[in-house]
Amino acid sequence: MRVLVVEDEADLADAIARGLRREGYAVDVAYDGDEAVDKASVNDYDVVCLDLNLPRLDGIEVVRRIRADDVGQPTRVLMLTARDSTRDRITGLDEGADDYLVKPFDFEELKARVRALLRRDAGRSGAVLRVGDIELDSSRHDARRDGHQLPLTPKEFALLRYFMSRPGQVLSQEDLLEHVWDENADPFTNTVRVTVMTLRRKLAEVGDSQPIETVVGRGYRLREQP
Amino acid sequence: MNPPGWLVDRLPEWARSIRFRYTLLYSAVLFGLAAIVVAALYLVLLMALRGEPVSAGTRGKVCDLRQDPPRCFALDIFSARELERNVNAQTLTKLRNYSFGSLGVLFVASLGVGWVVAGRVLRPIGSITAVARDIQATDLSRRIELPGPDDELKQLADTFDAMLARLDAAFDAQRQFTADASHELRNPLAIIRTNVDVALADPRADPDDLRQALVVVKRAGDRMARLVDDLLALARRQEPTLEHEQVDLGVAVTDASDDFVVPAAARNIVLDRAIGPGVVVIGDRDALKRAVANLLENAVRLAPAGSRIRLATGSEGDRAWIAVADEGPGISPEDQPHVFDRFWRADKARSRADGGTGLGLAIVRQIAESHGGHIRLQSKVGVGSSFVIWLPATAPGTQADIPTRPPPAPPPPPGPPPASAPAPGLRSPRRRNRPTALISP
Repeated sequence: MRVLVVEDEADLADAIARGLRREGYAVDVAYDGDEAVDKASVNDYDVVCLDLNLPRLDGIEVVRRIRADDVGQPTRVLMLTARDSTRDRITGLDEGADDYLVKPFDFEELKARVRALLRRDAGRSGAVLRVGDIELDSSRHDARRDGHQLPLTPKEFALLRYFMSRPGQVLSQEDLLEHVWDENADPFTNTVRVTVMTLRRKLAEVGDSQPIETVVGRGYRLREQP
Repeated sequence: MNPPGWLVDRLPEWARSIRFRYTLLYSAVLFGLAAIVVAALYLVLLMALRGEPVSAGTRGKVCDLRQDPPRCFALDIFSARELERNVNAQTLTKLRNYSFGSLGVLFVASLGVGWVVAGRVLRPIGSITAVARDIQATDLSRRIELPGPDDELKQLADTFDAMLARLDAAFDAQRQFTADASHELRNPLAIIRTNVDVALADPRADPDDLRQALVVVKRAGDRMARLVDDLLALARRQEPTLEHEQVDLGVAVTDASDDFVVPAAARNIVLDRAIGPGVVVIGDRDALKRAVANLLENAVRLAPAGSRIRLATGSEGDRAWIAVADEGPGISPEDQPHVFDRFWRADKARSRADGGTGLGLAIVRQIAESHGGHIRLQSKVGVGSSFVIWLPATAPGTQADIPTRPPPAPPPPPGPPPASAPAPGLRSPRRRNRPTALISP
């Protein structure tokens, strides 16, 4: 899951990014509106945490441009605002934000709201994703297969979460790079292939079948039924 | 009509209204006047007619002597004068009776008329009261907007409306101030909270990570402290200046600028000071020092290394001035009207990182205005900015010669010559010999 944090207070942006990265998200940071629009037009973000009060390009305008760029899966926008008047919130939501959070916020709440926004796309209501015999609890950072806990690294966890949010779909290496890795990932390395390999190995260790199959020439798919 | 308080207090509720008292007064005055007129008329007539009732005339007989025996009638015989008296007496009696009757009718009628008229006249007051009561309960945006001719009551209502408008504006400004302040405080709070949350939630955080989080928290804390400081300064200065002491402007400005010599030197900036002695203003010494400090702080923060900042004071006629000119980035014409607004920043991100609260110039303006003065800005992008604070001076003209000996002058702030020219002490050599041109006080 790829997240863009747009916030002109560098100290805040960096802390949010650090916290979200630890949750296994691929996080990019933009410090002003122009940079945010640039990054959103190049990368396909799942969630944008957007400060409304930005230099150069106002947050509302950023939402508009991101919405205008939306093709396919819509980008979820969580707006962060220091203004707590109802009118500001209404403006933000009307202009296309999906949710809002008033500063200062509890970081746990930010994480929960990001999870909730991601669930909207997955069409599920709980924090726990289930595909076949695999269970993944994003809030507790816990993945199990057949009741056995999977010892996953954050990147593997993020990768499995992305597979589980799109069960049965064929996902190309580019898709995975786009949504699970941040902009610092080198597209020419085989990091995606290596991570998928280790994830598959760990899944196979606790089960009798391999849920992630290779679709030759197109990518990978998580089977819905084991 | 102001009856004593104890009397009004004892009256029943319905009798305490102005309407009742006005009716009573009206009726009493009308009745009294009518009674006087009637009495005067009666007396005048009485004296003129002297009508005394005729008790008895002379008894006599009238006989028809042509008949035999003569037929006689007994008669009361009055002289013509006596008859006249009799008629007069009756007229006066009738006049008296009718007068009393009509006075009674008049009294009753005047009570009624007075009640109605008082009601009509006082009706607008009722609507003013109703709106005022409503405003207490709801908000200040309502107005009375009394219709009708421009009379005393309409003027009262209009005055009331104008007062409401002022109150509304004041409350709005207060609300805006609170909203701005909370907005500005929420950002550093969010930084502190998020950094602490993220650092605490990481069980594997090493001392370096924690130290880094603490550095960020300290930075945000410092920023909040500065912000609170500035907000308090601003809130306090909204009252008219309370300190009224004689302040030697030269001494105060020198004091304030001493703190900036070292920071300026550290950035390789030259601080030129041309402080005119003997200029005295009435006001708050600390506030004036703060104004100078705020201007210098901006200048030192924004001016490029190796540039020059000029600080000068002096007086022109009965006005004293303090001028600060830098060779910093300048302020674009579109931004110039906003620089004195609260929380306005030319470049938010940079200014915050430098520790600016966005309140410095707002405070300077408020200090100037609370001293009965004002502040003027002249700036050109890429050349520099000069700020001049004008204040009323106490000793008129004592130092009028200061501007004729200006410090090494900066390049003239170019651009179209606006209504304002550069500060007297900051004029270009080219202008030095011309009649003094001032940034219009």
